[in-house]
Amino acid sequence: MTLAASMPLVEFHDVTVAYGRRPVLWHVDLAIDRPCLFGVIGPNGAGKSTLLKAALGLVPVVGGYTRFFGEPLARVRGRVGYVPQRETVDWDFPVSVHDVVLMGTYGRLGWFRRPGGRERDLAHACLERVGLADLAGRQIGRLSGGQQQRVFLARALAQEADIYLFDEPMAGVDVRSQERIFAVLAELRDAGRLVIVVHHDLRTAAEWFDRVALVDMRLVAAGPTAEVLTPENLDRTYAGRAELLEELGRAVAERGRTS
Amino acid sequence: MPPLIGPVSLVAVASGPGLVSYNTLVVLGGVATVGFAAGVVGSLALLRKRPLVGDAAAHATLAGVAAAFLATGRRDLPALLGGALVAAVAALAVLVLIRRVARTRDDAATAVVIGVSFGIGLALLAGITARGIPGSGGLEQFLLGHTAALTAGDARLLAAVSLAAVAIVALGFKEAVVLCFDPQFAAATGWPVGLLDLVLVALVAVMVVVGLPAAGAVLVTALVVIPPVAARQWTDRAGPLLVTAGVIGLTAAVTGVVVTASRPGLSTGPVIVLAAALICGVSFLVAPRRGVIAQWLARVRRERRWARGDLSAWDLADADEAVPLPLPAVSHVAAVPLRGADGK
Repeated sequence: MTLAASMPLVEFHDVTVAYGRRPVLWHVDLAIDRPCLFGVIGPNGAGKSTLLKAALGLVPVVGGYTRFFGEPLARVRGRVGYVPQRETVDWDFPVSVHDVVLMGTYGRLGWFRRPGGRERDLAHACLERVGLADLAGRQIGRLSGGQQQRVFLARALAQEADIYLFDEPMAGVDVRSQERIFAVLAELRDAGRLVIVVHHDLRTAAEWFDRVALVDMRLVAAGPTAEVLTPENLDRTYAGRAELLEELGRAVAERGRTS
Repeated sequence: MPPLIGPVSLVAVASGPGLVSYNTLVVLGGVATVGFAAGVVGSLALLRKRPLVGDAAAHATLAGVAAAFLATGRRDLPALLGGALVAAVAALAVLVLIRRVARTRDDAATAVVIGVSFGIGLALLAGITARGIPGSGGLEQFLLGHTAALTAGDARLLAAVSLAAVAIVALGFKEAVVLCFDPQFAAATGWPVGLLDLVLVALVAVMVVVGLPAAGAVLVTALVVIPPVAARQWTDRAGPLLVTAGVIGLTAAVTGVVVTASRPGLSTGPVIVLAAALICGVSFLVAPRRGVIAQWLARVRRERRWARGDLSAWDLADADEAVPLPLPAVSHVAAVPLRGADGK
């Protein structure tokens, strides 16, 4: 028996997560069976980031499980890359841009082995792909927000994974960096990788992602972007959030124009 | 006087010719090694944002020393330090327990552990002194540190443990840096974050214990915290930070030994801390780029260039991000005196 196309690349099975007594995600069932740019969309506090963290075992799940390539994460860790939110680290930390990208190779190196020439070359190539090769020696705090996010992207590239999980890679990032990041994500997709992106901006979501999942503490809908981002689904996802209605209206109108 | 090198000649100067015994030299070397290792291990604690872990462990060691003396009835350094290590680990376990059970803030839990464990230590010490238990003289030296009483054997033990700690850090440097910089990424890529944290805390506890004879229970934490803080001023890379902190710790420790060698009444700990604090203060002032003076000069220079309309005043780190520079405003500002722009 082969791992045929029927085997999902990622499968969330009945995943339920709670922080203390506060439930964050309920019974998420989701399978992604082909390489694509996959957006996880939803309002603030909808549990989008939690979904990624649950898949990676960074938060305890109350119930359910996640499989990558049909296997538990521990057996395929080298094939799964992760980019946390930018704010989760201290950017005054004494490391250079190159040092951070090199960390992407550590998982493959294993215990106590130091990065060598191959790893350094790889890190440099990854920095070139995100357009930061000139700043390799700079301390990471002396970068703009968009550049910092691209450092994280380069570190993920250095992991040489088959599935990538990005947590809000476009948050607080200037337009040029956003375009650059998106271009790299699309390259990964074109090279046959599955790229899952937690994203909060509906307008860009409609144009960037091949497939999306709408999440609001539960899975509202998932599938090809055009089929999922319907006014009804958006209403069910963002219902009762007055501050988002305007954005919602714009997104729907834009989608109506393009389709 | 024969020509001696480095710190050795300092000892000779401080204590006068003829007083530099073999024992003094070995003690000096031992304490220097302790100072170096404390700086190295302390740097990792600082990078992990847990500089106070050492403080909690340090204050608990006094109770361990006193208890070990009561149990063995002798002032045997390895036994006393063994007791100190047990107490330090126990205090850290209690710290974790308080955080879990009472869901207290980290700093509050640390304060509780410091206060209570140190209180227990002082009470035990007072009890021992009051009863005049034979051989207990000098036990109070563990409060503020006193290297004059160390034997060469003691110093060798301290040096060996310190070198082992440095070796462990050197071996797991890559793992330590990824843990400290981005624990979430470390966990997601398969590193056992809990285990690595445990090793790090254990190293801090060990360094606090071996630093005890030199700096004492109250001040030993300074040997773990001050050198890394000072070293951070001088470098933007983790490896050089560890080495610099080690050298600063070594310098402070050696200064403590040398200054107190000829003054039997003086405790070593306060001298070590003052030396470290002096280095730290100087670092804050004169370090390139991060230092107060460098930052002030950079600001003045920037304002001058700005006043001249020179765009290189901006840190063009973001130049490739199309920062909209306020070009018309530049020529306008350039036409007025530097401080006059905002009115009076």
